[in-house]
Amino acid sequence: MAPPMFESRHSARASHLPHRPKRVIIASTLAVLIALLIAGLFANILVTAASTTGGTLRTDIWHLVRMTSIQAGLTTVLSIAIGIALAWALNRLRFFGRDLVIGVFAAAIVTPGIVVAFGMLSIWGRSGWINSATTYLFGESIGNLAFGLWGIIFAHLILDATFAARILLERLDAIPAARLKIGQSLGLSPWQRFTIIDWPAIRGSVPGLAAVIFLLAFTSFPIVLLLGGGPANQTLEVAIFAAVRQQFDLLGAVHLALVQILVCSLVILAAAARPPVPISTGVSTGQNWHDRGPARLLQWGVLGLGIAGFLLPLLAVIFDGVVADLADVLTRPTFWRAATTSVVIGLSSAALTLILALGLGLGRAASARRTLRLGLGLPVFAYLAVPAVVLSLGFFLSVRNLGIAPAEAAPIVVIIANALLALPFASATLGPPLEGLVQNKAKLIRSLGLNSWQQLRYIELPLLRREVGVVLALAFCFSFGDLGVIALFGTQDFQTLPLMMYRALGSYRSDDAAVIAALLLVATILAFIALPRLFERLLDARS
Amino acid sequence: MARAPALTTGLHPRFHDRNPGPDGPRERDDPMIKSIPLALAVLAGAATAATAQETPNLTIYTYDAFAADWGPGPQLKEGFEAQCDCIVEFIAADSSIGALRRVQLEGDTTDADLIVGLDTAIAGEARQTGLFAEHQLDLDGLSLPETWTDPTFVPFDYSHFAFVYDEDVVSEPPQSFEELIDRPESFKIAIQDPRSATPGLGLVLWIKAAYGDDAAEIWEGLAPHVLTVTSDWSESYALFLDGEADMVLSYTTSPAYHVFDEDDHSIHAAMFEEGHLAQIEVAGVLESSPNKALAREFLDYLASPGAQAVIPTTNWMFPVVDLESELDPSFSDLQQPSSTLSIAGEEITANRDAWIDEMLNALN
Repeated sequence: MAPPMFESRHSARASHLPHRPKRVIIASTLAVLIALLIAGLFANILVTAASTTGGTLRTDIWHLVRMTSIQAGLTTVLSIAIGIALAWALNRLRFFGRDLVIGVFAAAIVTPGIVVAFGMLSIWGRSGWINSATTYLFGESIGNLAFGLWGIIFAHLILDATFAARILLERLDAIPAARLKIGQSLGLSPWQRFTIIDWPAIRGSVPGLAAVIFLLAFTSFPIVLLLGGGPANQTLEVAIFAAVRQQFDLLGAVHLALVQILVCSLVILAAAARPPVPISTGVSTGQNWHDRGPARLLQWGVLGLGIAGFLLPLLAVIFDGVVADLADVLTRPTFWRAATTSVVIGLSSAALTLILALGLGLGRAASARRTLRLGLGLPVFAYLAVPAVVLSLGFFLSVRNLGIAPAEAAPIVVIIANALLALPFASATLGPPLEGLVQNKAKLIRSLGLNSWQQLRYIELPLLRREVGVVLALAFCFSFGDLGVIALFGTQDFQTLPLMMYRALGSYRSDDAAVIAALLLVATILAFIALPRLFERLLDARS
Repeated sequence: MARAPALTTGLHPRFHDRNPGPDGPRERDDPMIKSIPLALAVLAGAATAATAQETPNLTIYTYDAFAADWGPGPQLKEGFEAQCDCIVEFIAADSSIGALRRVQLEGDTTDADLIVGLDTAIAGEARQTGLFAEHQLDLDGLSLPETWTDPTFVPFDYSHFAFVYDEDVVSEPPQSFEELIDRPESFKIAIQDPRSATPGLGLVLWIKAAYGDDAAEIWEGLAPHVLTVTSDWSESYALFLDGEADMVLSYTTSPAYHVFDEDDHSIHAAMFEEGHLAQIEVAGVLESSPNKALAREFLDYLASPGAQAVIPTTNWMFPVVDLESELDPSFSDLQQPSSTLSIAGEEITANRDAWIDEMLNALN
C-alpha cells in the first residue's frame, strides 16, 4: 500500500477556525479504535504463535530484505525515470486518443496486480505473443521473460511508471503560461527547457512519489506470487503468506511482519516531511509550445514504447478473455456469486473508507493543536506499514480465538481490512483539500452561523465532491482487485473474482482465468473513471 | 493465457476443463448473503442450526485436483452418499499440505472432518500436530509396496514421482538428474514447493535418497532449469501443458491420463537411472470432528474395492487394492522404474526442515 505523505505544517493555525469539538471527538475515537484494532490483531497473532508448536524461524530474513529492497529499488528508479520521460512526451504531444491514454494511465494504480501478471505471461511467456512472433519471424524463441526478478519488475513498471507519469504530467501541466512564454521567447532548446522549466516543477514531487512506489513494490503480493517463480524471488509479504499458509509458522510470520513494518516505517518517516501525493484523475490540458526536431521524434518514440509496453499486456488480457469461452463463464452461477461478492465488498469497503477518511480528516482539520493533529494522522500511517497478509491473519486468528468459524466472519472482516488498506490513499486525496477548505471558508462559515452538519452538507461535501468521488473509486477498485486479504479468508463458498481467478490459474482453467481477468480489468477501469463523475454529478444536483 | 493452437488441441481435459461443472464440488449459499440474516437470526435467538441435524455432513479438505470435477471427488461423493445417508462435501484447499495448514489455522473451529491427500512423507509431521484420530480399521487386505502399519492414516493410492515430458517437444529426455543439469539453460522444468505440495516434498526426498550429502549440489545444478516453483501440482502441470516448461514434476502414472482420455501417446515419464521414489497418498480423521464414526466409515470406503476402482482413472495413481482386470489398460503399458528408492519415515520427520532449507538455499 502506498503512503500518502504527511502534508506540510500549517504552523500558525489561527484560532479563527469554527469551533467543532464533536468532530475532534469523533476523529479521536476513530483513531483510537483503529489503533486498538491493530494492536488487538497483533496480540492475537502473538498469543496464538506462543501457544502453537513448530515455528522454526528458519527464513533467512536478511536475504529476503536484501532481495526485496533490490527489487523495490530497481522498480522505483526505473518507474521514476520512465514516468518522467512519459510525462514529458505526453505534455508536449497532441494526438487522437490522448485523453484516453491519460485516463488509462491514471487507472494503472488501481489495476489488479493479478491481471497484470496474467497479461505479462500472455505477452512475454514462452508461448506468449512476443515469442510466437520471434519464432515466426526468426525461427527462434527468446525464452520466458515473464518469470523471475525481471518479470516482477516489468509488471511493476506497468503499474508504477504509468502512475508516476500521470502524477508528473499534472505538475508539468501546472507550469504557469507566463513562464512558458518567457522560455519560448528566450528560444530555449528542448534540453534547456527541460532542465530550466520542467525539472524544477517536478522535482518536488519526486521524493514523495518515489516513496509511494518503493512501498508498493516492497509490499507487492499477487505479482510476486504469480511471477516470482517460487522461493527465489519473494517479497516479505509473500514470505509471510508462505510462512502461514505453507509452514504454519506463525512466529516466523510475526518476525517477518515486524521487519516489514520497520522498513516501511523508515521509508514513511523519511518521506513524511514531503508533500503528499494525491491521486490525479483530472483532464490534462498539455502545452501548446511544441518541441521540434530530434526531441519531438524522441517524444514520439518514448510514447510509442510506453503505450506498447503498458497497453499490450492489458490488451492481451482482454483479447484472451474474449477468445476464451466468455459465454461459458458468464452462464455459471459461481461466477455471478463471486462477482456479486466482489461488488458488494468493494462498495461496502469504499463507503467505510470514505467514512473513516472523512471522520479523521474533518477532525484533523478542525483541531488547532499540533500534537492532536499528528495523533489523528498516525493511525492512517500505522496501517500503511502493516502487511495486508498479517492484517488478514490477525483478523483470522482473532475471529477464531473468539470461537467463531472464520468463514462466518469473512465478509465483514474483508470489508474492514480493505477499507483500512485504502485509507492511506484516501487520506492523501481528501486531507489536504479539507484543510484548505476550512482555512479558506472559516470566515464564511462563522458569519453564516452554520452548524457542523450544515457545514458538511453545504460547504464541504459540495466543494469536495470530486475528491469524495475519487476516494470512493480508489477504495472500490483496491478492494475489488484485492488478493492479499481474501487469500486467507476465501473459501469455496466465499470468493471474490480475483480469488476465483487465482484458483482457476492454479487448476488448469486458464480459459476461465482469462475471462475473469478481462472482466476484472474492464470493470476496474470503468469504475475508476465513472465513479468520480457519477458522484460529482450526484452531489452537484443536491446542492 | 495465450497458447499455441497446436498445444490447445492436445490438452488433457483434466488440465483443460472443457466441461467444468457449474459450481465445482461444493455448493452452498453465499455467506455474503447468508451472514446478515445469520447474524440477525443469532440475535433473535432463532435456532437455524436445527435443520442441520437431520442429515449429517461430512466435510473433507483435500487438494484442488482431487476435488475437481474431473478428479475422484465427485464419484467418491456419489459412491459414499449411496451408503451413508449423509452429505459429503469436498473442499479444495490451496494444495495438499495447504489442507493441513488450513486445519491448523482454523483450530477447533474447523469444519473439516477428514483430510484426504497427505502422503507418507508429511504424515509424521501431521501426526505430531495431535490433530488426528486413529483410524481403527483393519487394513490387512491392501496391496501396497510396503506393509501398512500406520494407526492414524489410511493409504488410498500410490505412484512414483517422475518428470513428465511430451515427446513432440523433447525427443530425447534426460535419463538422470545429472543429464538434466547438463542440458542448456533454456531447458525448463516446473516443480512444486516442498512446503505446500506433497510432490514438491517428494522431489526433495527423491534427490536426498539418490544423492545423500551431494543433494545440495544437484539442487544448485537444477536451479537454472527451474522455470518456477508453484505452490500446487496443478499449476505446474498447467504450465507444462501450456508449453511454458519442457518437463514437469509429476508421476510415472500421469501419462495414463493422456492415453485414456485423449488417446495421446506422446506424453511420457522420464525414467531416471538413479531410481525413483514412491509416494503413498493417505487420509486421516480429525480429532476435532463431531462425526468421527462417519469419517472412519468414509476411510473404510476409500480403501474398499468400490472406491479404489474410481481412483486410477480420476486421480491417475495406482490403487491400493488389487483391481486385477478392472485396472484400466492404459496403466498396463506404463513404464515403471527399474529401482525404487525410499527413506524411513522417522528420518524424514527428523530432517525434513533441514532438507527443504537445503533446496531453498540452492534456489535462492
